[in-house]
Amino acid sequence: MPDLVGDAVPRQTAGDADAIPPRSGGPVTWLPVAAPGVDPLDRVFGLRPNLYEDFRRWSALFWEEGLLDPTLLELCRLRVAQLHGCESELRVRHRSALAAGLTEEKIAALPRASSDPAFSELERACLAFAELFVADPNAITDEDARRVTEPLGPEGTVALVQALALFDGFARFRLMLGVDPPSPDRVVVLDDPGAAPD
Amino acid sequence: MPRIRPPKTDSTDPVERSALAHQPALLAAFTRLYGTLWSHGVLDLPTKEMARLRNARITDCRFCRSVRFAGARDEGLSEALVDEIRDGYEDGPLSSRQKAVLRYTDAFLKTPGDVDASLREAMLEHFSGEEIVELTAGLALFMGFSKIAVSLGQVPESMPVTVMPTPDR
Repeated sequence: MPDLVGDAVPRQTAGDADAIPPRSGGPVTWLPVAAPGVDPLDRVFGLRPNLYEDFRRWSALFWEEGLLDPTLLELCRLRVAQLHGCESELRVRHRSALAAGLTEEKIAALPRASSDPAFSELERACLAFAELFVADPNAITDEDARRVTEPLGPEGTVALVQALALFDGFARFRLMLGVDPPSPDRVVVLDDPGAAPD
Repeated sequence: MPRIRPPKTDSTDPVERSALAHQPALLAAFTRLYGTLWSHGVLDLPTKEMARLRNARITDCRFCRSVRFAGARDEGLSEALVDEIRDGYEDGPLSSRQKAVLRYTDAFLKTPGDVDASLREAMLEHFSGEEIVELTAGLALFMGFSKIAVSLGQVPESMPVTVMPTPDR
Protein backbone atom coordinates (compact mmCIF):
# COMPACT_ATOMS: atom_id res chain seq x y z
CA MET A 1 0.00 0.00 0.00
CA PRO A 2 1.71 3.27 -1.04
CA ASP A 3 1.80 6.03 1.53
CA LEU A 4 0.59 9.07 -0.32
CA VAL A 5 1.72 11.65 2.15
CA GLY A 6 4.38 13.71 0.46
CA ASP A 7 3.99 11.92 -2.86
CA ALA A 8 3.24 13.91 -5.93
CA VAL A 9 -0.21 12.78 -6.95
CA PRO A 10 -1.75 14.20 -10.11
CA ARG A 11 -4.63 16.52 -9.48
CA GLN A 12 -7.98 15.09 -10.35
CA THR A 13 -9.84 16.72 -13.16
CA ALA A 14 -13.54 16.73 -13.66
CA GLY A 15 -14.95 14.59 -16.41
CA ASP A 16 -17.33 15.15 -19.27
CA ALA A 17 -20.34 14.81 -17.02
CA ASP A 18 -19.39 17.89 -15.03
CA ALA A 19 -22.47 19.76 -13.96
CA ILE A 20 -20.97 22.68 -12.11
CA PRO A 21 -18.25 25.03 -13.35
CA PRO A 22 -14.91 24.57 -11.59
CA ARG A 23 -13.73 27.15 -9.12
CA SER A 24 -12.04 30.14 -10.70
CA GLY A 25 -8.96 31.83 -9.35
CA GLY A 26 -9.11 34.47 -6.65
CA PRO A 27 -8.13 35.23 -3.13
CA VAL A 28 -7.54 32.33 -0.76
CA THR A 29 -10.12 33.59 1.69
CA TRP A 30 -12.31 36.64 1.89
CA LEU A 31 -13.50 36.60 5.48
CA PRO A 32 -11.98 39.34 7.65
CA VAL A 33 -11.40 37.02 10.61
CA ALA A 34 -10.11 33.50 11.25
CA ALA A 35 -10.24 31.03 14.12
CA PRO A 36 -7.10 29.55 15.68
CA GLY A 37 -5.63 26.46 14.09
CA VAL A 38 -3.43 25.14 11.33
CA ASP A 39 -5.89 23.25 9.17
CA PRO A 40 -7.68 25.69 6.82
CA LEU A 41 -11.09 24.24 7.63
CA ASP A 42 -10.43 24.72 11.36
CA ARG A 43 -9.59 28.36 10.72
CA VAL A 44 -12.82 29.01 8.83
CA PHE A 45 -15.45 26.67 10.28
CA GLY A 46 -13.88 27.12 13.70
CA LEU A 47 -15.36 30.63 13.74
CA ARG A 48 -18.57 28.87 14.80
CA PRO A 49 -17.10 26.44 17.34
CA ASN A 50 -20.25 24.71 18.63
CA LEU A 51 -21.52 24.21 15.10
CA TYR A 52 -18.14 22.93 13.92
CA GLU A 53 -17.95 20.48 16.81
CA ASP A 54 -21.36 19.03 15.96
CA PHE A 55 -20.44 18.92 12.27
CA ARG A 56 -17.29 16.94 13.03
CA ARG A 57 -19.24 14.48 15.16
CA TRP A 58 -21.80 13.92 12.38
CA SER A 59 -19.28 13.65 9.55
CA ALA A 60 -17.01 11.26 11.48
CA LEU A 61 -19.81 8.73 11.88
CA PHE A 62 -19.74 7.79 8.20
CA TRP A 63 -16.16 6.56 8.51
CA GLU A 64 -16.03 5.40 12.09
CA GLU A 65 -19.22 3.37 12.14
CA GLY A 66 -18.61 1.51 8.88
CA LEU A 67 -22.04 2.49 7.59
CA LEU A 68 -20.86 1.91 4.01
CA ASP A 69 -17.89 0.25 2.39
CA PRO A 70 -15.06 2.81 2.80
CA THR A 71 -13.99 2.47 -0.82
CA LEU A 72 -17.51 3.20 -2.04
CA LEU A 73 -17.75 6.14 0.35
CA GLU A 74 -14.40 7.56 -0.77
CA LEU A 75 -15.23 7.13 -4.45
CA CYS A 76 -18.46 9.05 -3.96
CA ARG A 77 -16.72 11.79 -1.97
CA LEU A 78 -14.05 12.24 -4.61
CA ARG A 79 -16.50 12.15 -7.51
CA VAL A 80 -18.56 14.90 -5.87
CA ALA A 81 -15.36 16.88 -5.32
CA GLN A 82 -14.40 16.39 -8.96
CA LEU A 83 -17.77 17.68 -10.12
CA HIS A 84 -17.27 20.80 -8.04
CA GLY A 85 -13.59 21.20 -8.86
CA CYS A 86 -13.00 21.35 -5.09
CA GLU A 87 -9.24 21.07 -4.58
CA SER A 88 -9.69 21.20 -0.84
CA GLU A 89 -11.50 17.84 -0.95
CA LEU A 90 -9.51 16.38 -3.83
CA ARG A 91 -6.25 16.64 -1.86
CA VAL A 92 -7.55 14.33 0.87
CA ARG A 93 -7.70 10.53 1.10
CA HIS A 94 -9.17 8.48 3.90
CA ARG A 95 -6.84 5.79 5.17
CA SER A 96 -9.63 3.26 5.59
CA ALA A 97 -10.37 3.43 1.85
CA LEU A 98 -6.72 3.06 0.91
CA ALA A 99 -6.40 0.14 3.32
CA ALA A 100 -9.40 -1.46 1.62
CA GLY A 101 -7.55 -1.33 -1.69
CA LEU A 102 -8.56 1.93 -3.34
CA THR A 103 -5.85 3.02 -5.77
CA GLU A 104 -4.94 6.31 -7.42
CA GLU A 105 -5.51 4.64 -10.79
CA LYS A 106 -9.11 3.95 -9.89
CA ILE A 107 -9.60 7.46 -8.54
CA ALA A 108 -8.25 8.89 -11.79
CA ALA A 109 -10.74 6.74 -13.70
CA LEU A 110 -13.75 8.10 -11.78
CA PRO A 111 -15.06 10.29 -14.62
CA ARG A 112 -15.21 7.15 -16.79
CA ALA A 113 -16.67 4.87 -14.15
CA SER A 114 -19.81 4.08 -16.12
CA SER A 115 -17.76 2.25 -18.75
CA ASP A 116 -14.69 1.17 -16.82
CA PRO A 117 -14.59 -2.51 -15.75
CA ALA A 118 -12.53 -1.58 -12.70
CA PHE A 119 -15.76 -0.39 -11.09
CA SER A 120 -18.32 -2.81 -9.73
CA GLU A 121 -21.98 -2.63 -10.67
CA LEU A 122 -22.79 -1.19 -7.23
CA GLU A 123 -20.04 1.43 -7.50
CA ARG A 124 -21.33 2.49 -10.91
CA ALA A 125 -24.89 2.74 -9.65
CA CYS A 126 -23.89 4.79 -6.62
CA LEU A 127 -21.63 7.09 -8.65
CA ALA A 128 -24.38 7.68 -11.21
CA PHE A 129 -26.77 8.41 -8.33
CA ALA A 130 -24.18 10.77 -6.80
CA GLU A 131 -23.76 12.70 -10.04
CA LEU A 132 -27.51 13.24 -10.30
CA PHE A 133 -27.71 14.12 -6.61
CA VAL A 134 -25.23 16.94 -7.19
CA ALA A 135 -26.63 18.20 -10.47
CA ASP A 136 -30.40 17.67 -10.09
CA PRO A 137 -31.88 15.15 -7.64
CA ASN A 138 -35.27 15.56 -9.33
CA ALA A 139 -33.71 13.83 -12.34
CA ILE A 140 -33.12 10.61 -10.39
CA THR A 141 -35.48 8.04 -11.84
CA ASP A 142 -37.05 5.13 -10.00
CA GLU A 143 -34.70 2.84 -11.92
CA ASP A 144 -31.65 4.90 -10.90
CA ALA A 145 -32.82 4.61 -7.31
CA ARG A 146 -33.61 0.90 -7.56
CA ARG A 147 -30.02 0.13 -8.62
CA VAL A 148 -28.94 1.62 -5.30
CA THR A 149 -31.73 0.67 -2.91
CA GLU A 150 -31.83 -3.02 -3.83
CA PRO A 151 -28.18 -3.83 -3.08
CA LEU A 152 -27.76 -1.37 -0.20
CA GLY A 153 -31.12 -1.85 1.52
CA PRO A 154 -32.83 0.92 3.49
CA GLU A 155 -29.99 1.37 5.99
CA GLY A 156 -27.28 1.58 3.35
CA THR A 157 -29.32 3.86 1.12
CA VAL A 158 -30.00 6.30 3.93
CA ALA A 159 -26.32 6.30 4.81
CA LEU A 160 -25.47 6.97 1.17
CA VAL A 161 -27.84 9.92 0.71
CA GLN A 162 -26.72 11.49 3.99
CA ALA A 163 -23.09 11.06 2.90
CA LEU A 164 -23.85 12.67 -0.44
CA ALA A 165 -25.54 15.57 1.34
CA LEU A 166 -22.40 15.97 3.44
CA PHE A 167 -20.00 15.76 0.50
CA ASP A 168 -22.02 18.01 -1.80
CA GLY A 169 -22.96 20.58 0.81
CA PHE A 170 -19.58 20.98 2.38
CA ALA A 171 -17.62 20.97 -0.89
CA ARG A 172 -19.77 23.98 -1.73
CA PHE A 173 -19.07 25.40 1.76
CA ARG A 174 -15.32 25.17 1.10
CA LEU A 175 -15.66 26.76 -2.33
CA MET A 176 -17.94 29.56 -1.20
CA LEU A 177 -15.63 30.56 1.65
CA GLY A 178 -12.35 29.90 -0.16
CA VAL A 179 -11.10 27.19 2.20
CA ASP A 180 -7.62 26.12 1.15
CA PRO A 181 -6.58 22.46 0.79
CA PRO A 182 -4.99 21.01 3.95
CA SER A 183 -1.67 21.02 2.12
CA PRO A 184 -0.80 23.27 -0.84
CA ASP A 185 1.03 20.63 -2.85
CA ARG A 186 0.42 17.18 -1.37
CA VAL A 187 -2.30 14.65 -0.95
CA VAL A 188 -3.05 14.26 2.74
CA VAL A 189 -4.19 10.96 4.23
CA LEU A 190 -6.65 11.17 7.11
CA ASP A 191 -7.33 8.46 9.66
CA ASP A 192 -10.87 9.81 9.95
CA PRO A 193 -12.52 13.22 9.50
CA GLY A 194 -11.94 14.09 13.11
CA ALA A 195 -8.22 13.42 13.01
CA ALA A 196 -5.57 16.00 12.34
CA PRO A 197 -3.82 15.72 8.94
CA ASP A 198 -0.62 13.70 8.83
CA MET B 1 -43.76 7.72 -4.33
CA PRO B 2 -41.31 7.13 -1.46
CA ARG B 3 -38.42 4.90 -2.54
CA ILE B 4 -37.77 3.66 0.98
CA ARG B 5 -40.44 2.80 3.50
CA PRO B 6 -39.78 4.42 6.91
CA PRO B 7 -39.33 2.11 9.91
CA LYS B 8 -42.21 1.78 12.33
CA THR B 9 -42.15 4.33 15.13
CA ASP B 10 -44.37 5.96 17.74
CA SER B 11 -42.80 9.36 17.15
CA THR B 12 -44.96 12.18 15.85
CA ASP B 13 -41.99 14.17 14.57
CA PRO B 14 -42.06 14.16 10.74
CA VAL B 15 -38.30 13.72 10.43
CA GLU B 16 -38.18 10.91 12.99
CA ARG B 17 -41.04 9.27 11.09
CA SER B 18 -39.09 9.51 7.82
CA ALA B 19 -36.74 7.04 6.14
CA LEU B 20 -33.85 8.82 7.86
CA ALA B 21 -34.78 6.86 10.99
CA HIS B 22 -33.18 3.78 9.38
CA GLN B 23 -29.87 5.24 10.59
CA PRO B 24 -30.65 6.37 14.15
CA ALA B 25 -27.09 7.40 15.09
CA LEU B 26 -26.74 9.50 11.95
CA LEU B 27 -30.13 11.04 12.49
CA ALA B 28 -29.33 11.89 16.10
CA ALA B 29 -26.06 13.54 15.10
CA PHE B 30 -27.72 15.43 12.27
CA THR B 31 -30.58 16.55 14.51
CA ARG B 32 -28.12 17.88 17.07
CA LEU B 33 -26.17 19.74 14.37
CA TYR B 34 -29.37 21.17 12.93
CA GLY B 35 -30.58 22.19 16.37
CA THR B 36 -27.30 23.95 17.09
CA LEU B 37 -27.56 25.80 13.80
CA TRP B 38 -31.06 27.05 14.48
CA SER B 39 -31.19 27.60 18.21
CA HIS B 40 -27.60 28.12 19.35
CA GLY B 41 -26.28 30.36 16.60
CA VAL B 42 -25.24 33.95 16.01
CA LEU B 43 -27.33 34.69 12.93
CA ASP B 44 -30.97 35.79 13.24
CA LEU B 45 -33.68 33.25 12.47
CA PRO B 46 -35.47 35.12 9.65
CA THR B 47 -32.22 35.34 7.68
CA LYS B 48 -31.63 31.59 7.96
CA GLU B 49 -35.27 30.90 7.11
CA MET B 50 -35.09 33.05 4.00
CA ALA B 51 -32.03 31.14 2.83
CA ARG B 52 -33.72 27.81 3.63
CA LEU B 53 -36.85 28.72 1.69
CA ARG B 54 -34.91 30.06 -1.29
CA ASN B 55 -33.04 26.75 -1.36
CA ALA B 56 -36.34 24.86 -1.13
CA ARG B 57 -37.67 26.70 -4.18
CA ILE B 58 -34.57 26.16 -6.30
CA THR B 59 -34.01 22.56 -5.23
CA ASP B 60 -37.75 22.05 -5.60
CA CYS B 61 -38.28 20.17 -2.37
CA ARG B 62 -42.01 20.26 -1.72
CA PHE B 63 -41.65 19.27 1.93
CA CYS B 64 -39.10 22.02 2.64
CA ARG B 65 -41.19 24.59 0.76
CA SER B 66 -44.23 23.85 2.89
CA VAL B 67 -42.51 24.10 6.28
CA ARG B 68 -42.13 27.31 8.28
CA PHE B 69 -40.11 27.42 11.48
CA ALA B 70 -41.99 29.18 14.26
CA GLY B 71 -39.07 31.21 15.54
CA ALA B 72 -38.50 32.96 12.22
CA ARG B 73 -42.19 33.73 11.93
CA ASP B 74 -42.23 35.10 15.49
CA GLU B 75 -39.29 37.34 14.59
CA GLY B 76 -41.13 38.88 11.65
CA LEU B 77 -40.80 36.61 8.60
CA SER B 78 -44.37 36.95 7.34
CA GLU B 79 -45.90 35.06 4.42
CA ALA B 80 -45.84 38.34 2.50
CA LEU B 81 -42.06 38.38 2.88
CA VAL B 82 -41.84 34.69 2.01
CA ASP B 83 -43.69 35.47 -1.23
CA GLU B 84 -40.86 37.85 -2.15
CA ILE B 85 -38.33 34.98 -2.10
CA ARG B 86 -39.06 34.33 -5.75
CA ASP B 87 -37.21 34.75 -8.99
CA GLY B 88 -36.98 38.46 -9.70
CA TYR B 89 -36.46 39.33 -6.02
CA GLU B 90 -33.72 41.75 -7.05
CA ASP B 91 -36.38 44.16 -8.30
CA GLY B 92 -38.72 43.61 -5.35
CA PRO B 93 -39.19 45.38 -2.01
CA LEU B 94 -36.72 43.29 0.04
CA SER B 95 -33.92 45.12 1.85
CA SER B 96 -30.37 45.11 0.49
CA ARG B 97 -29.44 42.77 3.38
CA GLN B 98 -32.18 40.32 2.44
CA LYS B 99 -31.27 40.50 -1.24
CA ALA B 100 -27.64 39.79 -0.38
CA VAL B 101 -28.71 36.63 1.44
CA LEU B 102 -30.73 35.45 -1.55
CA ARG B 103 -27.90 36.23 -3.98
CA TYR B 104 -25.51 34.30 -1.72
CA THR B 105 -27.95 31.39 -1.60
CA ASP B 106 -28.26 31.38 -5.39
CA ALA B 107 -24.47 31.39 -5.74
CA PHE B 108 -24.17 28.49 -3.30
CA LEU B 109 -26.66 26.45 -5.30
CA LYS B 110 -25.58 27.40 -8.81
CA THR B 111 -21.97 28.65 -8.91
CA PRO B 112 -20.31 27.90 -5.57
CA GLY B 113 -16.82 28.16 -7.05
CA ASP B 114 -17.33 31.61 -8.43
CA VAL B 115 -18.46 34.08 -5.78
CA ASP B 116 -17.91 37.47 -7.34
CA ALA B 117 -16.37 40.44 -5.55
CA SER B 118 -19.59 42.44 -5.43
CA LEU B 119 -21.39 39.64 -3.61
CA ARG B 120 -18.55 39.27 -1.14
CA GLU B 121 -18.63 43.01 -0.47
CA ALA B 122 -22.39 42.95 -0.01
CA MET B 123 -22.13 40.09 2.47
CA LEU B 124 -19.34 41.75 4.44
CA GLU B 125 -21.32 44.99 4.55
CA HIS B 126 -24.21 43.28 6.32
CA PHE B 127 -22.76 40.27 8.16
CA SER B 128 -19.82 39.34 10.37
CA GLY B 129 -17.44 36.53 9.45
CA GLU B 130 -19.05 34.31 12.08
CA GLU B 131 -22.50 34.96 10.65
CA ILE B 132 -21.32 34.21 7.10
CA VAL B 133 -19.81 30.90 8.19
CA GLU B 134 -23.05 29.98 9.95
CA LEU B 135 -25.15 30.93 6.95
CA THR B 136 -22.92 28.92 4.61
CA ALA B 137 -23.04 25.86 6.85
CA GLY B 138 -26.79 26.31 7.05
CA LEU B 139 -27.04 26.35 3.28
CA ALA B 140 -25.08 23.10 3.11
CA LEU B 141 -27.55 21.50 5.51
CA PHE B 142 -30.65 23.01 3.92
CA MET B 143 -29.61 21.88 0.47
CA GLY B 144 -28.54 18.48 1.72
CA PHE B 145 -31.80 17.85 3.52
CA SER B 146 -33.80 18.97 0.48
CA LYS B 147 -31.83 16.72 -1.85
CA ILE B 148 -32.24 13.77 0.49
CA ALA B 149 -36.00 14.31 0.55
CA VAL B 150 -36.14 14.63 -3.23
CA SER B 151 -33.88 11.67 -3.96
CA LEU B 152 -35.77 9.34 -1.61
CA GLY B 153 -39.07 10.21 -3.27
CA GLN B 154 -41.11 13.38 -3.10
CA VAL B 155 -44.08 14.03 -0.87
CA PRO B 156 -47.48 14.56 -2.54
CA GLU B 157 -47.79 17.25 -5.20
CA SER B 158 -49.14 19.88 -2.83
CA MET B 159 -48.76 20.30 0.92
CA PRO B 160 -50.27 23.00 3.11
CA VAL B 161 -47.97 25.47 4.79
CA THR B 162 -47.09 23.92 8.13
CA VAL B 163 -45.55 25.80 11.05
CA MET B 164 -43.11 23.64 13.00
CA PRO B 165 -41.11 24.31 16.17
CA THR B 166 -37.69 25.78 15.52
CA PRO B 167 -35.22 22.88 15.60
CA ASP B 168 -33.29 22.55 18.82
CA ARG B 169 -30.95 19.89 20.08
